[in-house]
Amino acid sequence: MEKTNIPIGPQHPLLKEPLRLNIEIDGEQVLGSYLRLGYVHRGIEKLAQTRNYNQNIPLIERVCGICSYVHTTTYCRAVEELLGLEVPERAQYIRALMCELERVHSHLLWLGILAKHIGLDMIFMHTWNDRELILDIMEALSGGRIAHAVNQIGGVRFDLKAEHAEMIEDAVKKLNQEYHQLDEILENEPTLRGRTQGVAPISTEEAKRYCVVGPVARASGVDVDMRRDDPMPPYDKLDFQVITHADGDAWARTYVRLQEIRQSLHICDQIIDSISEGPTSVRARRKVPPGEVVMRSEAPRGEVFYYLRSDGSEYPARLKIRTPTLPVLGILPKQLSEIHVADIPVVLAGVDLCVACADR
Amino acid sequence: MAETLFILLIFPGIAFQLVSSWLFEWLDRKFQALFQRRVGPRWFQPLADMLKLFSKEDILPLGTNEFAAAVLPLTSIAAVLTAGIYVPIAGFSPASFEGDLIVILFLLSFPTFTYYLAGIISMGVYNDLGAGRALLQFFSYEVPLLLALSGPALMAGSWSIQGIASAQLEMGPFVLFQPLGFILAVVGLIGKLKRDPLDIPKAKSEVIAGSLTEFTGVKLAFWNMVVNIQAVVGIFLLVNLYFGWSDIAAPALAISVFFLESILMMVVLSTASAVFARLRIDQLAGFGWRVLVPLALVQLLAVILIGA
Amino acid sequence: MAWLKKRLALLLSLLDALIEGSETVSYPETEMELPNGYRGAIQLDPEKCTGCGLCARDCPANALELVKESKSDYKLIYHPARCAYCGQCELSCHRGAISHSNRLTGSTKDPDSIVVILKDQKE
Repeated sequence: MEKTNIPIGPQHPLLKEPLRLNIEIDGEQVLGSYLRLGYVHRGIEKLAQTRNYNQNIPLIERVCGICSYVHTTTYCRAVEELLGLEVPERAQYIRALMCELERVHSHLLWLGILAKHIGLDMIFMHTWNDRELILDIMEALSGGRIAHAVNQIGGVRFDLKAEHAEMIEDAVKKLNQEYHQLDEILENEPTLRGRTQGVAPISTEEAKRYCVVGPVARASGVDVDMRRDDPMPPYDKLDFQVITHADGDAWARTYVRLQEIRQSLHICDQIIDSISEGPTSVRARRKVPPGEVVMRSEAPRGEVFYYLRSDGSEYPARLKIRTPTLPVLGILPKQLSEIHVADIPVVLAGVDLCVACADR
Repeated sequence: MAETLFILLIFPGIAFQLVSSWLFEWLDRKFQALFQRRVGPRWFQPLADMLKLFSKEDILPLGTNEFAAAVLPLTSIAAVLTAGIYVPIAGFSPASFEGDLIVILFLLSFPTFTYYLAGIISMGVYNDLGAGRALLQFFSYEVPLLLALSGPALMAGSWSIQGIASAQLEMGPFVLFQPLGFILAVVGLIGKLKRDPLDIPKAKSEVIAGSLTEFTGVKLAFWNMVVNIQAVVGIFLLVNLYFGWSDIAAPALAISVFFLESILMMVVLSTASAVFARLRIDQLAGFGWRVLVPLALVQLLAVILIGA
Repeated sequence: MAWLKKRLALLLSLLDALIEGSETVSYPETEMELPNGYRGAIQLDPEKCTGCGLCARDCPANALELVKESKSDYKLIYHPARCAYCGQCELSCHRGAISHSNRLTGSTKDPDSIVVILKDQKE
């Protein structure tokens, strides 16, 4: 049979954000693919050089919609290191709490998208309904559901009141129940396992060679997690497990992300119990002394990497962001060979695309 | 003459089938919404969708065979409406004859063939994929469906649907004697209607809309009508073959019982849609030939042995 | 029994959904209450404002404009269409004069028609 080209083009039911994937098929077999990014490029790194450090915080927040808090946290930590500031402990705990809540809501969103693409609309609506619990907490804590705007250079802008802590505890309890229900469903649903098991496996050597990060790497047996290897201050005192799986196929990626929800909820519990009293921010100077710094964090999709260089003025000289979706997109053409056409949604969903992150 | 026109146009002809199909689509969407904790559409939504499609521009890509694109949906609708006339509604069957079960099963497979042809004549990538998948799926579910549906016919000793339905008045509903056959018939019906988990030819995330990707306007409205009317005719067929009870003396009781059984079948179909993920085409082919066909043969053997 | 419950987990969650009802809020008919800390449109306390311009300097979207003739003759203009609702102005003000209300800015076809003059100080 002759080869045809399917355009998973800028508009497609599979994609949340525009991306160009030309996939070559022969009947039901995928032969190869061609990837092109750049539809969501907004020039954030260049814009960051024309605004001062305070004005950059809302700009960095809009790099990505789902992992916005981690981006601002990493940026603020980079500037604080250049300034030589010591952030108060209460602020560190609050930052970790928001990061973990964001990880839970990102993984729930991802699970819904995977279920929707393989035809299980019930799980899609179920997980997105659970997400509303977290978004309501975010709205009460910070004033916005997705764009939180609570980080400042030197700490956080709001304080965790007692009623907020109670609300978070109730929500964590309910989310734990939902997690158990989801765990049972995913373990025992034969059609979902049939669609994801054995699909597009990545071996450990391939994952290391392509420098894959995040849950995709952990699902292939690469034991890397920035919360343990290069920890932000409260994480070295908290107790959690890094989940890995040996198979590296789409089912392994589902399993890893599901178990990470459980671990994040456990971390939230510990933070609420052990948060210390004190101020939530310190004052920061407007002019940053010259220097360069590299700061890494664990976003929901993997390791996010910031390089910041300043020349002593109020404006950054160079800001470089390496988001976790980029290396995973590097391994996508390899995954998209030798599979069925019906497996394309599963592979694309397993990558957890965040094209806005990749394009900046 | 007037009676023929009444049968063809009103009951159980075009008007009755159309209204039942709207009711079916509304119930299906409402159930799916309730399962997903949503509110769901209002009662006139399927009618509104049809009217909206009538008002859209009817445009096809360059190179499509326009005559075929216009004739195929009409042929499909004609086939399913004709099938609808022969299926008894609560015992009322204006034109039943010995062997009409076979004719109805043949007419109900028309939509699959026209779907395949619609994919072939359209220009575009997704159409060929969807069309090929539709035929491959047809080969996987049709054999178990036909084998399963022969069970009630053998047990009742008649190949007319009215005969099978009447036979259940003495013997009791066949679903109690052939539960395996009933499950196989439901699976076959899901495959014929191209519903989740067997909506492989029109999987939105893989082939966008399969053969119908390039159709809009009045033609798409007709294709949607075909799907819904086929669903309604299939449900009435299964209710007659497996639940029967259609010849009871009081017509009001017969109609209510028939109505309730149809609603029960709709609930079964909606639940099956909600609970399973979509299968892959090679998984379906394996499942169809390795699991469904042997089970259907076992069921048929049991029916023959019990009868003898 | 527990084994069966595990196998039918999805069906049981389906029954839960039927029993618990829908979670949809029919928005224009039901009133939605926004929490107190919701970041809505900007409001100014004119007593506390001194026209220093720190908010306008730090706004990332240039939504605040200070037209200053002298220390006692200035005008602070707010463009809701450009505002990113980030709260950076609230953070930068030393006197706590500017803050977010929890009102929503309505939609409009003409961005210039909703420009607000927050404070107009003459002498």
